[in-house]
Amino acid sequence: MKSVVTTVVTAADAAGRFPSQNDLEAVQGNIQRAAARLEAAEKLASGLDAVTKEAGDACFNKYPYLKQPGEAGENQTKIDKCYRDLGHYLRLINYCLVVGGTGPLDEWGIAGAREVFRGLGLPTTAYVEALMFTRDRGCAPRDMSPQALNEYKSYIDYLINALS
Amino acid sequence: MLDAFSRSVASADAKTAPVGSGDLAALRGYVADGNKRLDAVNAITSNASCVVSDAVTGMICENTGLIQAGGNCYPTRRMAACLRDGEIVLRYISYALLAGDASVLDDRCLNGLKETYIALGVPTQSAARAVAIMKSSAVAHIGQTNTPAAGGTKYRKMESTVGDCSALVAEAASYFDRVISGIA
Repeated sequence: MKSVVTTVVTAADAAGRFPSQNDLEAVQGNIQRAAARLEAAEKLASGLDAVTKEAGDACFNKYPYLKQPGEAGENQTKIDKCYRDLGHYLRLINYCLVVGGTGPLDEWGIAGAREVFRGLGLPTTAYVEALMFTRDRGCAPRDMSPQALNEYKSYIDYLINALS
Repeated sequence: MLDAFSRSVASADAKTAPVGSGDLAALRGYVADGNKRLDAVNAITSNASCVVSDAVTGMICENTGLIQAGGNCYPTRRMAACLRDGEIVLRYISYALLAGDASVLDDRCLNGLKETYIALGVPTQSAARAVAIMKSSAVAHIGQTNTPAAGGTKYRKMESTVGDCSALVAEAASYFDRVISGIA
């Protein structure tokens, strides 16, 4: 799993050397920024279900045609799967906030996503809409501190860019 | 390879759950003690060659047959291989200590090490003894418990902030123990 520490260790191992002062400084920088992202991860985890529901509702409100026959949300089972997917994405964002890098999103959410969406005939724009709503809905200091919100939103933006 | 953070992510993913407050409290501990951890890694890396050569010397002193003809540290070519391996083991332990997780040590160092040693005819008991000496030495450097009497002419005290680092000392010791149980 890619993170600052594993990247540093992989590089040191490839060179066959002990962790250098540069490596320790890199890890130190990562640690200094950790408080904000751990706060964001905690707040997101505690409100995950509510955030997922809001995101899905926003998406189906904007694109009501999705619930028509033949579309991605034509029955309750498919609608539930849309909410489930959004929950998965938000969970991966929670993981990214914990790790301090995009590794979890890259490995479990983005790699192969394009092929899956195309294969199942799913509209990525709907997911993008839901995520954009989630991003703009986040508010400091109501939801979390400004710095934490910044970290949180940057991972949502990363996912939006990957899906659009 | 995992670190303390990605370890909690991997176990949360197995349950399809977000990383919640309980896990995050442990990670906040890692963050709060971050500087101590870096000092501990520095204590190992700065004294690496001393720790390794001391351990190999100690191992031989206790079992001089190793450097007599037919011994596993005779001639110097094989002694050099021994020192090299000691440094490699210490290096992976320093990675594990930096990451706060033993996965790098398991995956890249211990996986198959015992089988390799057996196939090459390396006495694993002696290797384990050398690692045990490295453990006492490294732990003394991290915890600043080394004394002039124990250190002898190579006595060195790390100049880092003094505080409670018993958790880190125990963690570092556990990585050495992991190697010992992995090869013995």
